[in-house]
Amino acid sequence: MGSAYLINLAFNGVILGLIVALAALSITLVFGIARFPNAATGDVATVGAFAGLAVTATGGGTAAILGFGVLTAAGLSLLFYLILFRGLADKPPVASLIASIGLAFFVRAVLTFFVGHNQQVYPLPIVRAVPFGPLRVQPTDLQVIAVAVLALAAVFALLHLTAIGRRMRAVADNPDLARASGIAATRVLVVMWLCAGALAGVSGTLLGIKTVVSPEMGWDLLMPAFAATILGTIGNPVGAVLGGLLIGLAQELSTPIVGFTYKIGVGFLVLLLMLLVRPQGLFAGNALVR
Amino acid sequence: MSTLTVANLYAGYGDVDIVTDLSLRVEPLEIVTIAGTNGSGKSTLVKGLMGLLKRIRGRVDFEGTSLLGVPGERRIHMGIAYVPQVNNVFASLTVLENLQVVEGVSDRRRRMAEMLDRFPALQERRSTKAGALSGGERQQLAFARALMASPRLMILDEPTAALSPALVHEVLRLITALRGMGVAVLLVEQRARQALAISDRGYILDSGRVVIEDRADRLLADERMADLYLGEH
Ligand SMILES: Nc1ncnc2c1ncn2[C@@H]1O[C@H](COP(=O)(O)OP(=O)(O)OP(=O)(O)O)[C@@H](O)[C@H]1O
Ligand SMILES: [Mg+2]
Repeated sequence: MGSAYLINLAFNGVILGLIVALAALSITLVFGIARFPNAATGDVATVGAFAGLAVTATGGGTAAILGFGVLTAAGLSLLFYLILFRGLADKPPVASLIASIGLAFFVRAVLTFFVGHNQQVYPLPIVRAVPFGPLRVQPTDLQVIAVAVLALAAVFALLHLTAIGRRMRAVADNPDLARASGIAATRVLVVMWLCAGALAGVSGTLLGIKTVVSPEMGWDLLMPAFAATILGTIGNPVGAVLGGLLIGLAQELSTPIVGFTYKIGVGFLVLLLMLLVRPQGLFAGNALVR
Repeated sequence: MSTLTVANLYAGYGDVDIVTDLSLRVEPLEIVTIAGTNGSGKSTLVKGLMGLLKRIRGRVDFEGTSLLGVPGERRIHMGIAYVPQVNNVFASLTVLENLQVVEGVSDRRRRMAEMLDRFPALQERRSTKAGALSGGERQQLAFARALMASPRLMILDEPTAALSPALVHEVLRLITALRGMGVAVLLVEQRARQALAISDRGYILDSGRVVIEDRADRLLADERMADLYLGEH
């Protein structure tokens, strides 16, 4: 097993890590502001990926897949808030958590009913990998990285450079004081759910571009994304991104040891270890959104 | 017209009333202290007034307008500011962001400048996260944040708790100065001797009810309740 192999695994780990980071950031935003771990995050990502697939039928390319996938996921996320999570906001968080698990199963069942269990791929032109020293880079890999980094940067810019982002952080930090400061929670929640849905949508479509599109893809994404969220301290956006990268790298680099089939379990293992050893995560006390 | 009129107020959590049949008022530019032992319902009363409790009934009027049923986030626009007992600043936001995030400010630029002028310590720490401020700076920020929208009533929940004697003095001086800014004050304190000394009137709360109300000087002179409710000299 040469170093070239490891370098390629690490490169893949970074790409996967970015995709996990997008989902983890979505989870951490919802947790920070709506205060429950949203188990439907993965399936919103799946719907985004399938929306992207639908648009390829009309001849859409990468940009159309992303655009339509993200819009659909954001819209769906807002819809779920309006019809479900808004009504549960006054109940204990476990009510919203259970509802989100139910929602996840429901979305997957509906998707499977219409599209079946088959894995599908986006009909994108196949481009030859370009060698960079020992690294073999697919041009789509670079696109995936660029889109993921841009999406992450856009969310951080929203959080830190805009008035609505400031309000979101205020509500996450201290809901009562935010209220007394005149911040209407509903407006903040609408933007937050759109944002969380859009992130899931980017995550799902990029995962579709990188691998395959299937009704289970989002559910499979959820475990590493939860692990990344916990690893980076739940509610901490920077932590979620770093956690995602760590999980992606750990998963890929463990392939030679645990084999291809079991690398999915690495996320679960990290999650368990983390909860046992340092449940507050790596970045506690350094939280941006608490 | 009174600034605040509360009549026959009941407030609590879940299906339990903590505050029962409570009435009080605050006149324009008055400083009114609410004293009471640990757990007597002071914070519950204040949260109820701020629209942060679901279980509440009775009458609450601000300058003649009923507040019950008005969402909590409207209070600041109406002219009511609040400094909670704990977490009275946004710890993860910078000093500047704490001031920027307040709604209902008409000339934000000018108001921010005024606040940084009035609280010079904040000027130097403008880009510091509020969580990293010292106790005194933090209290100044809590006041500045509450003053941003030029309120006519400020509700303070134990603003001197856990402060050093020098800082307590400083905070009381700040409260006294509020009158000059056109602000009436409802001041909650557990050990209320010092608070009453700067107040016009006071109410003593016990188990969610007002047990005594009087002019502040008379409450301070009353030996019977001194030991019970006001803390040591
Ligand atoms: N969120 C809550 N849910 C249920 N009960 C509560 C809640 N907050 C306070 N209580 C109860 O209400 C009662 C009054 O509490 P409150 O905080 O109003 O007292 P307080 O006078 O402010 O006390 P302190 O001087 O310690 O701040 C207490 O018995 C407390 O246990
Ligand atoms: Mg209290």
